[in-house]
Amino acid sequence: MVSAPMNDREAQLTAELCAARVDLDRAMVQLAEAHKMAALGRLLAGVVHEINSPIGSILSNNEVLLRSFELLDQAVQADPARARRILETCCSLAAVDKIACDRICSVVRGLKTFAREDSSDLRKADINEILANTLKLTHCEFRSRIQVETDFAELPEIECYPHMLNQVFLNILVNAAQAIEGEGKVTVRTALEDQCVRVSISDTGSGIPPASRARIFSPGFSTKPVGVGTGLGLSISRQIVEEKHGGAIGFETEMGRGTTFHVRLPLAQARRAAG
Amino acid sequence: MMGTVIIVDDEEMVITSIRAFLQLETEYDVHGFTDPEEALRFVEASPISVAVSDYLMPRINGIQFLGRVKQLQPESTRVLLTGHADKQSAVQAINEVGLFQYLEKPWDNQQLLLVIQSGIERTRLLRDLREKISQLDSAHSSLKDVQRKLLQAFL
Repeated sequence: MVSAPMNDREAQLTAELCAARVDLDRAMVQLAEAHKMAALGRLLAGVVHEINSPIGSILSNNEVLLRSFELLDQAVQADPARARRILETCCSLAAVDKIACDRICSVVRGLKTFAREDSSDLRKADINEILANTLKLTHCEFRSRIQVETDFAELPEIECYPHMLNQVFLNILVNAAQAIEGEGKVTVRTALEDQCVRVSISDTGSGIPPASRARIFSPGFSTKPVGVGTGLGLSISRQIVEEKHGGAIGFETEMGRGTTFHVRLPLAQARRAAG
Repeated sequence: MMGTVIIVDDEEMVITSIRAFLQLETEYDVHGFTDPEEALRFVEASPISVAVSDYLMPRINGIQFLGRVKQLQPESTRVLLTGHADKQSAVQAINEVGLFQYLEKPWDNQQLLLVIQSGIERTRLLRDLREKISQLDSAHSSLKDVQRKLLQAFL
């Protein structure tokens, strides 16, 4: 791009600038990764709670089943009616085990898609599925006080970085939950709009004060107490949506009524389409 | 030894598992509730020996629930069974609702059984004690009555 020959000083500065740019890019990636892990860490207490009940059930059931088989062996000859009752209990416990295992699997699946570090895999993915996985993780936190409503449109798979979008949705959902004091509702909608998928996440929380609105996407800006927020969630989210996906992120808010975040993502990535 | 045990957890699976275990190993009368409000209606209507409650439930938490149980039936034994391992809620539970035991999920069946057995025994003893006290009270007041009549007769 340089038309005139550069002198040595200029060449050196350019090289330094390029190197600094590479360092900065790497630092941004590391920062995003660290932020993701921090968010994941905060969810962990909820996740532990979520899988404690099913694990407790399975452990207990296993013990009861083993004991039942012993008793069954004696009852089959001596007391067929009792044998039948024991069998019924066994069947219901086996059914509970199935539900309990499904629960654990779904949480683990949510964690797995989230924790994947590989950031280079642009692939086709179903946005509804990504949202459902993220909701499984936040469910543990939301369960007792926040009602979640989903309204998913039928969507084509889009070209994206699924684990990064996981992070975006998680950031918005955690913010939504934190904006709600006491009980409330979070609504997640998806829609197909001219070559784009739109995801809207609404909360019935306190709304964003006018003074903060212009700054919420700025790195380091946070209204949360130290230790709760890093002030990076939305800035990283915007980077992921706009720079990585060529999409757009914005919000509508009203004090006392709540906030809705909109994320628009193109169906295909430009460089792919061009190549 | 007979006893009535209620299990309150918003997860049906927990109730099913504990109920199956208790029914296999004991003769206790076991009632499970996924809704704490419904459990409270039961406690209002019939005497219970032990209440085992989850902590994190929609609308009303385990401590609030056990607090209501304590008001309704002070002699009942209250046990918190929780996956929410947080020390503050444990301390709060022990202090505020006179908790008998604090158990964590995943639970151990033998330990749970031991807690429930001793809980039933404890409730029975407390109820016996209350009955003995009221017998003593009435014996005391009838004695006083006799004493008063004796004094009247002599004076």
